[in-house]
Parts: sequence; C-alpha cells; structure tokens
Amino acid sequence: MSTTLAGTLAVLLFAFPLAGALGNALLGPRLGRRFCNIVGPGVVLAGFVCAVVALVALLGAHEDARSTTVTLWSWLDLGLHGLKVNVDITIDPLSVLMCLVITGVGFLIHWYSVGYMGHDESPWRFFSYMNLFIFSMLLLVLAADLVILIVGWAMVALSSYLLIGYYYDRPSAVQAARKAFITQVVGDVALYLAAFMIVTNLRVPSLQLPTIFAYARDSFPQGGALITGICVLLAIGAFAKSAQFPLHTWLPDAMEGPTPVSALIHAATMVTAGVYLIARFHTLFDLAPIAQGVVACVGMGTAVMAGVIALSQIDIKRVIAYSTMSQIGLMIFAVGIGAYSAGMFHFATHAVFKALLFMAAGNVIHALHDEQDIRLMGGLGLTMRATERCFLSGSLALAGIPIFAGFFSKEELLGLGWLHGPWAPTLYAVGVGVNILTGLYTFRLFFTVFRGEPVTARTYAAHEAPPSMLMPVVILAIGSLVAGIALLLGIPGVVGRFFLADFLDPVFTADGGRLLSEPATSTAFLTVLVGTAGSLIGSGLALQWWYQRKPDAQVIAAKVPRVLTQLSLHKFYFDEIYDALLVRPPRRLARALRTVVEPEYADGWVEGVGRAAASLSETFRMLQTGRLRDYATGMLVAAGAFVVVLAVFVR
Amino acid sequence: MIDIQVFPLLLGLSAAMFTIGSVGVLVRRNPLVVLMSIELMLNAVNLAFVDYGRFLNSEDGQVFALVVIVVAAAEAVVGLALVSQVYRAGRELDIDDLSEMRE
Repeated sequence: MSTTLAGTLAVLLFAFPLAGALGNALLGPRLGRRFCNIVGPGVVLAGFVCAVVALVALLGAHEDARSTTVTLWSWLDLGLHGLKVNVDITIDPLSVLMCLVITGVGFLIHWYSVGYMGHDESPWRFFSYMNLFIFSMLLLVLAADLVILIVGWAMVALSSYLLIGYYYDRPSAVQAARKAFITQVVGDVALYLAAFMIVTNLRVPSLQLPTIFAYARDSFPQGGALITGICVLLAIGAFAKSAQFPLHTWLPDAMEGPTPVSALIHAATMVTAGVYLIARFHTLFDLAPIAQGVVACVGMGTAVMAGVIALSQIDIKRVIAYSTMSQIGLMIFAVGIGAYSAGMFHFATHAVFKALLFMAAGNVIHALHDEQDIRLMGGLGLTMRATERCFLSGSLALAGIPIFAGFFSKEELLGLGWLHGPWAPTLYAVGVGVNILTGLYTFRLFFTVFRGEPVTARTYAAHEAPPSMLMPVVILAIGSLVAGIALLLGIPGVVGRFFLADFLDPVFTADGGRLLSEPATSTAFLTVLVGTAGSLIGSGLALQWWYQRKPDAQVIAAKVPRVLTQLSLHKFYFDEIYDALLVRPPRRLARALRTVVEPEYADGWVEGVGRAAASLSETFRMLQTGRLRDYATGMLVAAGAFVVVLAVFVR
Repeated sequence: MIDIQVFPLLLGLSAAMFTIGSVGVLVRRNPLVVLMSIELMLNAVNLAFVDYGRFLNSEDGQVFALVVIVVAAAEAVVGLALVSQVYRAGRELDIDDLSEMRE
C-alpha cells in the first residue's frame, strides 16, 4: 500500500468523525434533531467506507507489505537526544480490523441511537459525544507513536466519561461517570510510567512504535527485570481500560449511560482497547514471560469472577456488563499466552454479538419504559418476537453453541490455552468452567426475560421496537450467525479458510515473533469437544432448571455453598473493599482536617492576611478626601520635590 | 535676532505664570476659574519649551509646545463638558462641594 493512500485514508478516518463531533456540537442546536440524526450516523458510515477501502487495499498487497507507517506531520521536536514526537499512523491488518469493527459496529449503534434517543432533548450533545468517541478510538488504534496512542487512550476515557454521565441530572450517573474516569486514570498513570521507562532506558530517537520495538529487542534481555516491569505497567493500563481485576468495578456502574453507549463503548470497542494494546505491544510482551503469565492469570481470573457475579445480578444491563467483563477476560488470557490472532478474533465476534445483546436489551428496556429489573420482565417473547429471536441469536453466540460466532473464536483461544500459558493446561480447565458459567448466566437471562408468563401489566403492554431500532439488531443477529463461520472456515470464493488468522499473523511475526504451535488435530478436536461440552452443559442446566419450573433463585441457590452465592450477590465485595480502603480513609482525613486543623491552625493565618489588608486600606482611605484641591496640592508638592531631587542629586 | 539676555527673562515670566496658575488651581472654588488657571499653567510650560528650544537651537521645543496645545484643547473640552453637566444637574459650581468621589 502506498504511503499516500494510507495517509489519505487515515486523515479521512480522523476527519469524518471529528467533523461530525464539531458539526453536531456547533450546528446541531440550530439545525435540529433531523440534522443530527443524519450527520451522527453518516460520518461513521463514511469512516466505515474508508476502512473497507483500506481492507481491500491491504488484501491486494503482498502479505509482507501490508504494514504502512506514515508520518502525517511533526508535532514536537525536543532536541534532547533528538527525541521527536510525530503524528504517525499505521495501517496494518491489526489496525484495519479494529477500524472495521469500530466504524462498522459503531455505525449500526449510531443508527440504532436515532430511534433509541428519539425522545431525548439534546440529540446534538449525544451524537457529538458519540462521534468524538469514534474519533478518539480511531486515533488510539491508528496511532503509530506512543504519545499519540496515549492521547487517543486518554480521549476515549474522556468520551466514555461524558457519555456515562450523559444524564447529568441523575446523581447515580454522575457518580458512575466519575468512578469510571478515576479508574481509567489509574491505568493511564501506569501507561505513562511505562512510557517514561521506555524513553529513559531505551534512549530511542523517536517514540515511533516500530522504533521502540526494534530498540527493545536489541537492548532488553529476554525476561529481564526492566522489561517485565514495563510490561506489567502496560498491562495495568490495559486492565483499567478493559475492566479486568482489580480495576474492574467501574464497568457495571457504567451501565448508567444510555444503552447505545453501553453497546458501543462498554461492550464492543473501548473496553477491548486493553486487548489491542497488548497485541500491539506484543514485541515487548514476548520478551517478558512473567508479565505474560500475569496477564493470562488475571484475564482468566476475571473471566471466572465476572461469570460467577453475572449469575445473580438482576439488572438486565449489568448481567450483560459482567458477561462482557468475563469475555474480555478470555481475550486478555489469549493475548497473555501469546495467542494474539485468537484474541483479536474473539474481539471481532464479541463486538458483534455483544453489541447485539445490548441493543436487544435496549429494545426491551425501551418497550418497558426504562425498566431494567429482570424480575419484573418475563414472557416478552410473546410481544417482541423479532427482538427475542435476535437476542437468542446473540445468546447462542455468547454461550458458544456450535456454528454461532462465539463458538469458533472462544474454542480457538481456549484450545491454544491447552498447550500454552502458565500452568497449562490448568487454566484451560478453568476456561471450560467459564464456558459452563457463560451458558448458565446467558440462558438464565434469556429465559427470565423472554419466556414464562408476563409478570407486570407493563410487560403485557410491551410492543415491538420501531424499525430504526430493529434493523441494526437484525443485521448484527445475522452477523453473529455467520461471522464465526465466515472468518474461520471461510466462504468459497469470498474468503479463505482461517482468513482472519492468515490476515493478522504477519503483524505478529513481522519483527521476529513466533506464532504459538497449534495443537495437533486430535488434541484440537478433543479440546473443542470438551469446551463445547462445557458450553452445552451450562446452557443445558439453565434450560433444565427453567423447564422444571424452578427458576426461583432461592431453590437453586440452596444447592450451592452459601459463600458462593453471597460472593456472587455482592460482586465479591469489591465495592465494599475499595470503599473501606480508598474512599473512607481520605474522607475521614478530610473531615479531621476540616474540624481540627482548619479552625485551629489554618484559619488564623488566612484570616490574618485578610484583616491586615483591611486595616491597611482603612488607613490609606483617609488620603482620599474627594476634594480636588487636596489632590492638586499633592501633585504640586510631589512635582516640587522631584525638581529639588533633580537639582540636588543629578548634575 | 533677539538678544541672548532675553532667555532668562522669558524663563522668569514662565515661572511666574506657572506659579500664578498653580495658586489659582489651589485657591479658587469656581471650576471655570480653575480650568483657566490650568490653561495658564500649560501655557507657562509652553513658553518654557519654546524658550529652551530657541536657546538650544532645536525645533523640539516648538514641536512639544504644539503637542501640549492639542492636549490642552482636548482637556478643555472634557473639563468644560463636566462643568456644564454639573451646572445642568442643578448643582452649585463649587469645587469643594463636588467631593462625592470619596465614597
């Protein structure tokens, strides 16, 4: 791909959403809802077209010539050992895949928002934030310079903050936005520290990522302490963005935002930025096996924990949020063991079916007039048939039932976990457990919401969503049916077998990285069989419990240890622990400062300064008589004195 | 040509005018008279400027005097406008009485 084409595409990819954000913000209030409804989704669609052009151009190029790095302009040149920051972008299979998902799924979600936010008072604000998010996310994935990447990294946190707190008159939304932002900043700081360590230790001439990777390979020993530290810091940044233990508590609260926001930011794109970061920095992580092990363990641990929590939540969006956390845990596990292509594959399919689940849930919430408690739902399959079908398609994909999208991507990454990663194949066994949990919570949610008898009058009165909210959902439902098959097994004449892996792998081998050895066919078959069995057992249990007419939580909960149900119900007490450790002590300190230190010590000084100024001005005030004569006398005397001084001292 | 002895005389005249003007500013209560006294002071200074300019064989003194005349005209406009406004407000024209700016 020529640099001109790559540069043009990147500029267009940036320009469209940015123009949309500015246009909606500045012109939207004047031109009204119609304008926003066209421009908001329109610019994202234009971005998608650019991404498709980039994909076609990449596929037309030779396999080894698919990575193009372009310097758009020089941003700052410090001159200190020649350190430069350029606005560099990379068009390669990894970034193009991300762009396709961001703009493709992003467009469908924007389209859906037109219907979902149809009664909102300020669609211009909403679409402006949404377009800003798309811009920030594209900046993050296209950046080929560490500083630009960090700019995008921080900007997605900002747009996430703005959108979670979109209903700013709701205190819980504002709280959730603040919590999300503060957690993100913890990750940001870790990322900055990693960047500082890279700059000071590598003495790189520029912060261009390929340069950093090349220097790192030459100067860091395999498994050295320094590179391990850098990678752990990078991983902490990724954990904060991707809602992994121990920085995961913000994601469920982020569901306070409008549902399209949950679909776009907190399911499909932003939360997977951590996976992207580790995949992008694979050269560094390949040098630090200990950091990789940490990443894999944290990923799998979060997957289990979130799966357990999802079992007992009663808010429809929170169940899906915990399932997102769990699935991203699997992706993080994949990139932690070095199965980068598998992780990105699961990212792509997950973006499709999780956006679908959120938007279908949005339809339900919309039909029930903002009811999110699943105990008050039930029987919605009768009135919302199309939404039910789509939700089912998403659930099957999420649970990893064969031929649906999630099956292919999940089994591929778990299969690689059989051979690789820390304590293989122990973590693989845990992964099968996650499969069981996934089937359980997914179908518990599906049955509770859509089957059985309607519980309240509202569920009887529910009606199917309007076409503008149904069409994107249907498209994604078809996507979650075929995406896995198409990308793994291929469609004759259109895409080949193992299309995605073949497309992505060169990115990870280009600078001397090695691919993981694939398990032998028999082993692979066995792992798929076991994994699928796990998914089916989970889904089957949910099915069985449902049809035995025992969806009663009490009955089921009585069968498992009390500790587990309590942990699940209270989300492993993380909010309480953080509250006791991080929120209450500073608050207590602040109170002590206010009641003791301030009145006793600080106030005397502060008010003393004020009093001194007041008494001084009281004195000077006497000079101001208001009579012209006094002022004129003062001027004359001063002028006379000046003349005398001149005459005596200046010769 | 003017005799060289004229310069100190003119300077003396300027000093006298300046003194008369400044005393007028300080002691008179009618704002119109005060304005006239200020005018007198300015013209005393003009005289000194021109005098020194001639003494030093330079045009700078005259140029400066012209500038002072322009500024004096502007000052007279503002001052007279203030006086007429005070008069229209029905106030007595007494400088000592016009001291509300203290507050």
